[in-house]
Amino acid sequence: MEKILSVKNLTKKFKRIAVNNISFDVEKGNVYGLLGPNGSGKSTTFGMLLSTINPTSGEWYWFGKKGTEPDTLKRIGAIIEQPNFYPYLSAETNLKIVAEIKGTPKHRIDEVLQIVGLLERKKDPFKTYSLGMKQRLAIASAMLNNPEVLILDEPTNGLDPEGIIQIRDIINNIAKQGITIIIASHLLDEIEKICSHVIVLKEGNSIYSGRVDEMTANNGYFELKADNNTLLLSALEELQWFNSVKQDGEIIKAQIRDDASISASALNQKLAEKGIFLSHLTKKKLSLETQFLELVKNTN
Amino acid sequence: MIKLLKLEYYKNLNYRPFKIFTALYFAILIALLFIGLVDFDLGGSKINLKEQGIYNFPDIWNFTTWIVAILKIFLGLIVVFSISEEFSNRMFKQNTIDGLSRKEFISSKLLTITIFTIVSTIIVFAITMFLGYQYSNTTESAKVFEEIFFIGNYFVKLFTFFCFLMFLSILLRKSVFVFLALFVFWIVEGILTAVETFTKVSGMQGPQRNEVLQNDFFITHLLPLESMSSLIPNPMMRLNILKMFGKYEFHYPTESMIACLVWCAIFIFGSYWILRKRDW
Repeated sequence: MEKILSVKNLTKKFKRIAVNNISFDVEKGNVYGLLGPNGSGKSTTFGMLLSTINPTSGEWYWFGKKGTEPDTLKRIGAIIEQPNFYPYLSAETNLKIVAEIKGTPKHRIDEVLQIVGLLERKKDPFKTYSLGMKQRLAIASAMLNNPEVLILDEPTNGLDPEGIIQIRDIINNIAKQGITIIIASHLLDEIEKICSHVIVLKEGNSIYSGRVDEMTANNGYFELKADNNTLLLSALEELQWFNSVKQDGEIIKAQIRDDASISASALNQKLAEKGIFLSHLTKKKLSLETQFLELVKNTN
Repeated sequence: MIKLLKLEYYKNLNYRPFKIFTALYFAILIALLFIGLVDFDLGGSKINLKEQGIYNFPDIWNFTTWIVAILKIFLGLIVVFSISEEFSNRMFKQNTIDGLSRKEFISSKLLTITIFTIVSTIIVFAITMFLGYQYSNTTESAKVFEEIFFIGNYFVKLFTFFCFLMFLSILLRKSVFVFLALFVFWIVEGILTAVETFTKVSGMQGPQRNEVLQNDFFITHLLPLESMSSLIPNPMMRLNILKMFGKYEFHYPTESMIACLVWCAIFIFGSYWILRKRDW
């Protein structure tokens, strides 16, 4: 897999350590979540990778080239913290400035404004926009140069539910085009819906970097139901594939053991052999939130 | 170059303070040049600067460049506002993320400064020529061009001043602080100059003292604001000396010129250094 970004031992000290010796790789075509509570170093990391903050030590490679050159930035689209535009200029003029800096043809301006649904308002000054519109304009601006990578720092911060859905739809569409996305958020369900990979930061330390579903050794659990739940319970306990088997109302939850690998169909077959026919069976992964909390807890 | 010019054009064209101050500056600039044609009423006695000889070649160069240089603060306001705007709206950060290098950022600002300075210099030059040919008691080319170096000094003076303001704007990032700093700088330079002058001439009298004041080398004259102002001395003093002694000898302020150019370099590279070193 082609590496878009490779970060090695990146460290930033302000008065305290903001980012501590983190390393991770970003591969082409994936959606990465940079996860962590407020103040865990997400924005500082982005700042260094985007050349606005000088690192204390460490290095990184964009597209195999060391550091961040202005030309590298022209292949990246980024939104940081809050949408930054000249308040007295119209959306169109603001994007003209971006196009001029990035060396993008001007006809892209209407195209990206169309994508985010701001074409009708393009002549209005930026300061008259609502927060949701500002954020959408920021995405339009980041998309202007057809970037190979998109960096989004808290893209849904402060938006109402409708705005969040709009932004999420836009991001999903971008992801479908095969553009690599790195997205920072402390909203876990947000990341879970979008990302395939995560990098988890905690107090400046990277505590996990990899696929979302491999974040914890946890294999997930089954939800089952049969006409005779008592029989089902004892059958499951006999199988030795589970850490615990619990009845929760009508539903039985069976936690898969860390060293066991079992598919829903295999389980169904096994139970059928025992003469138990299920009326309900689903294999479920732990939610990102549960996994995240587990991870943070384990590193304490 | 064209790219940076376009950037500055987009950024400033719709910025209201920019438009107002630019228009105001050039209007007042032109009006002020014709000031000599107006009769002033000072306590009953009428003063007409034209009759005092300010529009005579070669003195006119000194007069016009000195009087309009006072107005540079108007353009200075624009420079300070438009640069501090870049920081208050976090636009410098955004520009950087979009792929504008620090060097390009400084260059674009220097470009605006240079254009302002050139336009202002051309206007002053054209109007001075016009006024001179209209009202001067002599139009021999030797006299006309004898002190034309004041136009060059004017250019350097303005350019240095704007570079200074650019540096302060990038250092302090808020226009209020920039003007405060400028004011403090002005006072401090004034005090230092007074102290140096006082220590040099204390105990001296009359001609000896004048001699020292006229010909001695003052370190404080190399300070930025001092060196800028020494580039174009006050023409009223010149008129007075001319009246008192019958002749006036002008020394070309070579040290001040060099000092100004050095300051320009310091301000430009200082600005660049700050942009590089700071975390945005």
